[in-house]
Amino acid sequence: MSGPLLRVERLCKSFGALRVLKNIEMRVEAGQVVCIVGPSGSGKSTLLRCLNHLETPDSGVVFLDGEPIGLRWKGQKLHRMSFNELAAQRQRMGMVFQSFNLFPHRTALENVIEAPIVVKRKPRAQATREAMALLDKVGLADRADHYPSQLSGGQQQRVAIARSLAMQPALMLFDEPTSALDPELVGEVLNVMRQLAQEGMTMIVVTHEMSFARDVANHLIFMDEGTIVEEGPPSDVLIRPQQARTKSFLARVIGRRA
Amino acid sequence: MGAAYSSHPDIHAVRPAPLIHPTRWIGGFALALFVVLFVRLLILNENMQWAVVAQYLFSAEILAGIGRTLLLTLLAMLVGFAIGVVLAIMRLSANPVFRAASWMWIWFFRGVPPLVQLVFWYNLGLLIPEVTFGVPFGPTFWSGPTNRLITPFSAAILGLSFTESAYAAEMVRAGIQAISVGQTEAAATLGMTRAQILRRIVLPQALKILIPPIGNDTISMLKFTSLVSVLAMPDLLYSAQMIYSRTYQTIPLLIVATIWYLVLSTSLTLAEHWIEARVNGRPISLKGVAASLLKSMRPSFARPEPRT
Repeated sequence: MSGPLLRVERLCKSFGALRVLKNIEMRVEAGQVVCIVGPSGSGKSTLLRCLNHLETPDSGVVFLDGEPIGLRWKGQKLHRMSFNELAAQRQRMGMVFQSFNLFPHRTALENVIEAPIVVKRKPRAQATREAMALLDKVGLADRADHYPSQLSGGQQQRVAIARSLAMQPALMLFDEPTSALDPELVGEVLNVMRQLAQEGMTMIVVTHEMSFARDVANHLIFMDEGTIVEEGPPSDVLIRPQQARTKSFLARVIGRRA
Repeated sequence: MGAAYSSHPDIHAVRPAPLIHPTRWIGGFALALFVVLFVRLLILNENMQWAVVAQYLFSAEILAGIGRTLLLTLLAMLVGFAIGVVLAIMRLSANPVFRAASWMWIWFFRGVPPLVQLVFWYNLGLLIPEVTFGVPFGPTFWSGPTNRLITPFSAAILGLSFTESAYAAEMVRAGIQAISVGQTEAAATLGMTRAQILRRIVLPQALKILIPPIGNDTISMLKFTSLVSVLAMPDLLYSAQMIYSRTYQTIPLLIVATIWYLVLSTSLTLAEHWIEARVNGRPISLKGVAASLLKSMRPSFARPEPRT
């Protein structure tokens, strides 16, 4: 397979009069870890949500493995996909949310086996075996029978990661995965993500954790006011930012957290 | 400071006396007085004819009536709730035709009194004498007079369940909307279809919230079923009426019906608290149900629910 795993071309999105994304262009190679940073309101999360069409872009196209997301050709005519047609494409991009969004009426294990059983029609025994291996990987095999309300924020987020991995996605999207966590719980989630990166998972991570971006990402994107202001290897962007906006953002953020 | 001048004992050595609540004592006494007077009236008034009440309380006719009342309540709730879920989903759908159809159904069946509907459904044969099942302008599968389909029982189920469906729809809609969008989004990113998300993620959570209002509606329905006496269907009330139209013992038989309605609605209340406790994973015991009932009597501001 030649070409990037994910390609974003001329992506635009507005909410009412507010232009949130302006002509975004982006390429992600398989195995790459891309971190997106920027001030709040810069469009990072909207960009991530446009990739799997949780938000429908106003214009522009996202390609996964060369295949346009949410659009399909019918002869020479281009059609938008319905929610259920999109489902098949969405399961190739796992997503982890800031607010975890675990299913509260299901135990940790049931959260993980839900989609493999319902969507992929896997036998329950096989799904359970694979789910236990994933829970073990995120260090929560002994919490399989706990409900989300009985787990800490960090544990919930690790179950959410296992739940996404259970669909064997080609790509993982992380939308500020540690922003809702108490500071002492951030590390356990970042460790799981670090381990995933080492195993070669392709990841796009919207984050405020600069140390994670510096240590784990191969590519750093700085966004502001709906555009990509600056991008490149994290060491370059973090240490020798070229743009004034990047410099002032990093001065504010790294001053606090380095 | 001040300790030297004070004649009080050391404040750390004494416990404060409990608050006294004079209004509780005055109100309690007044209420007790009324209860005593009322019970005296019940016992001493000869028109109550307690012997007759006892004679009919467990008579076969009354028990059969209770059976019909319960069957009507159960069926009307099941059918009404099933239609209500469909209406709620249509109301929240992106399809404007579904939304409009659901809105019109709810508007109509919430607006027309159930008593009017019962009489109307029972007399449907006057409006539409023949019913035909088949493909419009195509083959016919079954055809016959409407009056063969419309009995007091089927008319009662139609009228009661359609009324219930309108209320259930608004209730279920509120329940679905109470589930966060994040749940749908998480399920969507896992590749689930709309129907799968609704059936496996959103509805189970919504129904759990809806247990108390469903219990409430069931008790309302139990009482609404007494309207079917206009169709001469022998439910609990009409069975009692049939007896007193023969024996002229009106008051004792109305008391028999009242006692049974109270017994049934109390049982339903207990059942609702039992189900609620079960779903919330609390231990199920008579004590637990009693505790849940007592809690529901207390003012909510006095004892805030612990956040779980």
